[in-house]
Amino acid sequence: MSDPIAIGLAGVSKRYASTLAVDDVTLSVAHGEIFGFLGPNGAGKSTIVKMILGLTYPTAGQIEVLGQPAGSLAARAEVGYLPETFRFHDWLTASELLHFHARLARVDASLRADRVRELLELVGLKDRADDRLSTFSKGMMQRVGLAQSLVGAPRLVILDEPTSALDPIGRRDVRDRIRELGEQGVTVFLNSHLLSEVEQVCDRVAIIDHGAIVAEGKLDELLSAQEIEIRAGEGAEAAVREAVGESSVRSIDGRLRVRVADDGEIAMLVRRIVEAEVPLYDVRHVGDSLEDLFVRVAERGDV
Amino acid sequence: MSTHLIAFFTLREALRRRVVLAAALLTLGYLVLYGVGVWFGYRDLQNTPGGPPGLTEGVVSLMLVGGLWSLNFIASVLAVFLSVGALSGELDQGTLHAIAARPVRRSEIVLGKFVGFTLMLAVFIGVSASLMILIVAVITGEVVGASWSGPFLMLLASMLLIGLALAGSSRLSPLPNGVIVFTLYSTALIGGVIEQIGDVLESAVMFNIGVFSSVLIPTRAIWDMASAQLATGGFAGELSAGPFGASNPPSGWMLLIAGLHLALALGFAVRSFSRRDF
Ligand SMILES: Nc1ncnc2c1ncn2[C@@H]1O[C@H](COP(=O)(O)OP(=O)(O)O)[C@@H](O)[C@H]1O
Ligand SMILES: [Mg+2]
Repeated sequence: MSDPIAIGLAGVSKRYASTLAVDDVTLSVAHGEIFGFLGPNGAGKSTIVKMILGLTYPTAGQIEVLGQPAGSLAARAEVGYLPETFRFHDWLTASELLHFHARLARVDASLRADRVRELLELVGLKDRADDRLSTFSKGMMQRVGLAQSLVGAPRLVILDEPTSALDPIGRRDVRDRIRELGEQGVTVFLNSHLLSEVEQVCDRVAIIDHGAIVAEGKLDELLSAQEIEIRAGEGAEAAVREAVGESSVRSIDGRLRVRVADDGEIAMLVRRIVEAEVPLYDVRHVGDSLEDLFVRVAERGDV
Repeated sequence: MSTHLIAFFTLREALRRRVVLAAALLTLGYLVLYGVGVWFGYRDLQNTPGGPPGLTEGVVSLMLVGGLWSLNFIASVLAVFLSVGALSGELDQGTLHAIAARPVRRSEIVLGKFVGFTLMLAVFIGVSASLMILIVAVITGEVVGASWSGPFLMLLASMLLIGLALAGSSRLSPLPNGVIVFTLYSTALIGGVIEQIGDVLESAVMFNIGVFSSVLIPTRAIWDMASAQLATGGFAGELSAGPFGASNPPSGWMLLIAGLHLALALGFAVRSFSRRDF
């Protein structure tokens, strides 16, 4: 626990043959945090999750999970994962699936039966424990998948769109489970394209679009934040990045887009640029506020 | 180490799949038919007066080798069928994601599946070959082919195919992989025929084509070794030449080549699957 970071990504990119799925993402999630990763379909969320788990390999950058390199057995031993597809071998019964994963997760033999029973009860599948998964609805499959992700008593749980097949009540149940995990000190990484889902449970969120993080922070701060555009001489970017942090700054056609919390931060930035003896040509508000961004992302995702 | 977990999981899956049950039932039916065939064949043989000494034993041995040849064929088809989509097929279905995210090495997934399918085939070959040898022994009173090395070599041939199919499956989807593996398998069969003809015609080129095909994929050569082990007594050696075996079985080198083949295939499967994005 000495390392305060549960997940750390540094300059991570992933290029598939023709697409840049993830573009230079730097991100960190603290221990015990419920972290929301929000973005429209195709933004790169699942790719990032798979890289965190070592299922997919980044083409650039480093990833650390619970103080270990991503994908190492030590890191995986303490991680639970619900894949986006939530497909499992459907010739197994629900109970058999959980037992198998408990073994893979190296759960002590004496604990397995109880753990499996508790988790099936937790996700409301106690009565179906001995039914084959082939008889399960999609919603039930997703719930058994959630139980599967928790079977190793993980310190970090990664859920990729965990409610995509659930009805409103099922979604509320999952939110409750996530809150409980948070109370137990478990770190949760929640992928979603639904603003509503993320904003109800998450301590902190990042918004990803086209493979790049476009905003990151505590939800209320993000909602009240504003974006400015700075046009300045060479060297301004380094000064600004140093002042407000990498994730708040984007460079577009030589101009800097900076997310700031308030007017005081704008004044501070101007001072820094002047102190760096870089010519400052223009500072202005730009229309795309974070709320707009949220709405844009949510609208695109909600269809 | 989780190899054994994956292996038992694979075995359990194979046993629960209907295709395997179907294969078992078909094989059972085949064994019944085979028994009937042997019974009539043996009766006719007994009613034929004269003939050189050792004829009966030789014919019985030939009947057994022929029967085992077809079991070997079924085993080969089963081996390819089971393993041809074991990696990429499961990746496409998404059933491997949660498992591969556990503290399990990719190599353990590949090797676990290999061991699981091998156990499956060992059970299949062990049971069906024993039954066949038993059927022949009971009907004819001749105990032929009761050697361990025959069925073990049959298993080795199936293991070669499993290794090859897994190597392909680390990258290719099941259909193209299946086409490639069966093409290679057929190449070995055809290569064997060419080798025999080359032997008869004393054509070095044809003979070498056959040898080359065996090095490429030694399944048929391994069967030739098995049939030489199984065909015992009298002039069985000459009789078993023909469709079910070679007139001069491959030397022990072929075992080394087969072992190398298997190691290469599994090494490739592990390496290529380990580097693959999910
Ligand atoms: N295996 C792959 N091969 C090629 N492109 C891929 C692959 N996986 C994902 N992509 C592409 O990467 C981008 C991000 O996908 P993904 O991470 O699944 O997004 P999200 O989970 O946010 O919906 C998409 O453009 C997708 O088409
Ligand atoms: Mg996704």
